[in-house]
Amino acid sequence: MAQKNIVAKFKDEGKLLKALTRLKENKVNLIDVYGPFANHDILKLLTRESRLPYMSVIFGLAAIVLTFGFLYYTSVIDYPISYGGKPIFSFPPMVVVIFFICILVTTIMTVLTFHARAKIFPGKPSSPIDPSVTDDTFFLVLDQNYNPEEIKGWLQEDGADEVTEKEI
Amino acid sequence: MMETNYTPKKNMTLLFAVLVLIGIIAIIVGFMSDTQRTWANILLNNYYFITIAMGGLLFYSIQYITNSGWSALFQRVPQALGGFLPVGAVLMLLMYFGLPQVYEWAQPDITETDKLIAHKQPFLNVPFFMIRLVLYFALFLGVGYMLRKYALLQDQNNDIKYHEKSRYFAQVYIFIGAIFFSFASKDWIMTIDSHWYSTLFGFRNMIISMYYGSAAIILMILFLRSQGYFKQINDAHFHDLGRYLFRFSIVWGYLWFMQFLILWYANIPELTVYYEPRFLGEWQPVFYGELFINFVIPFIVMMSDEVGKKPKVLLTISSLLLVGLWLNIYLQIMPGAYGPMKFGFIEVGMWLGYAGLFLGVVFMALGKAALVPKNHPYLEESLHHHI
Repeated sequence: MAQKNIVAKFKDEGKLLKALTRLKENKVNLIDVYGPFANHDILKLLTRESRLPYMSVIFGLAAIVLTFGFLYYTSVIDYPISYGGKPIFSFPPMVVVIFFICILVTTIMTVLTFHARAKIFPGKPSSPIDPSVTDDTFFLVLDQNYNPEEIKGWLQEDGADEVTEKEI
Repeated sequence: MMETNYTPKKNMTLLFAVLVLIGIIAIIVGFMSDTQRTWANILLNNYYFITIAMGGLLFYSIQYITNSGWSALFQRVPQALGGFLPVGAVLMLLMYFGLPQVYEWAQPDITETDKLIAHKQPFLNVPFFMIRLVLYFALFLGVGYMLRKYALLQDQNNDIKYHEKSRYFAQVYIFIGAIFFSFASKDWIMTIDSHWYSTLFGFRNMIISMYYGSAAIILMILFLRSQGYFKQINDAHFHDLGRYLFRFSIVWGYLWFMQFLILWYANIPELTVYYEPRFLGEWQPVFYGELFINFVIPFIVMMSDEVGKKPKVLLTISSLLLVGLWLNIYLQIMPGAYGPMKFGFIEVGMWLGYAGLFLGVVFMALGKAALVPKNHPYLEESLHHHI
């Protein structure tokens, strides 16, 4: 039997932050926050800071190495042609190609990684916790900790507009 | 809390005086041993500190143009850096006596033997050069004075019209600074290699000035913080300052490479003559060293947000960049103006002397007005800057 989650509705992210800080201090198990815009402080309190940038760096480095390998293979090993008396292996013109391919690969791969990780794809039906989350409301979701009544009290005290229980 | 004025400490003033003394000794030693090298060094150091001062004022103007709130707290620091410009103007005017030593085209009989310089004579001649120099400084100092005036008036009167005046003159300054500093760098630095030209040169040097201006601002803020001022500056301010360095390092690398690649690819003798001693000759270590210090190291270190906002990292990178700026200008001036690569007491002593003079002037300018601007409309936002 699925357990019901506590869902608190906040119109003001300042109040949400206050509530989150208090829940953090009491070591309450949080699940997620849904909201209309990103807020770094909320992410920090949820310890949900994105690791996507590290993937981007890895993709970028991989793109640099692979593109360089490709250019080196084509223009030095497989089909060496002398252009304007330049050495067969000349690095400066490669930089431009590597630079652009690096940006292209990093961008596309980062977008794909994000979609794969968040399990979203074009055409996937959206199921927001509440329609107003796309407008002006934050929703804080927690599971039933050992003291649900106390938690609900704290949430009310910190200015939650509505505290309900819902199966997610 | 907000009324703190900066008062320079006595022993600091003494230190600057000692530095200036070292500089004077270096200049005397230089003139006794090698006149040409000394004049080239005078130009190098003039340009070095004018670059930083310009960078400070361009930073200041950008904050007004973009209506930025975050920087209101420390806006007196970039303005104080600009306080060096009048001194720089006098020092540049003194270059008049050394023009033939540094600039090939200024030598008296060069037009008879050198056809190309004879062709460029209508532009490259001593009177016109001096007229342009005076014109540039008249513009920089005139508009810079207006910026200072309205900033100080705002301290006394809580009236929004002074802020709008400041913003108006910041808009003027950003155009005058960007356009005429590009021209000035072409005049003062590019004409050393008078057979060579690069259309990117001026823009690149203007960007350089903003890059190292930001580094100097960071160092000043960190110093003032260690003295107990600017307690309200928080992580978010450092984060934004670090971003300035990171972005400009990218632009710097981009422009460095654009200027190099085009000349390398075209391979036209008139143009490659500039890169020949630097890329292939004895200046090669400086050429690559400069690239590493000014682009590779800041780019890699500042890439991470978490690392880039630590004051210690900012201190290291900014100090490194000031060395990098010296190498950058050294590489731009010396091969053309002097020839062989020499580094010794003259270079170090003169830089120290100029640094003493620069810091003395800047800290004096900083002490003349309130360190934190009063009545600035964005001050509250800056005090609570948070990202």
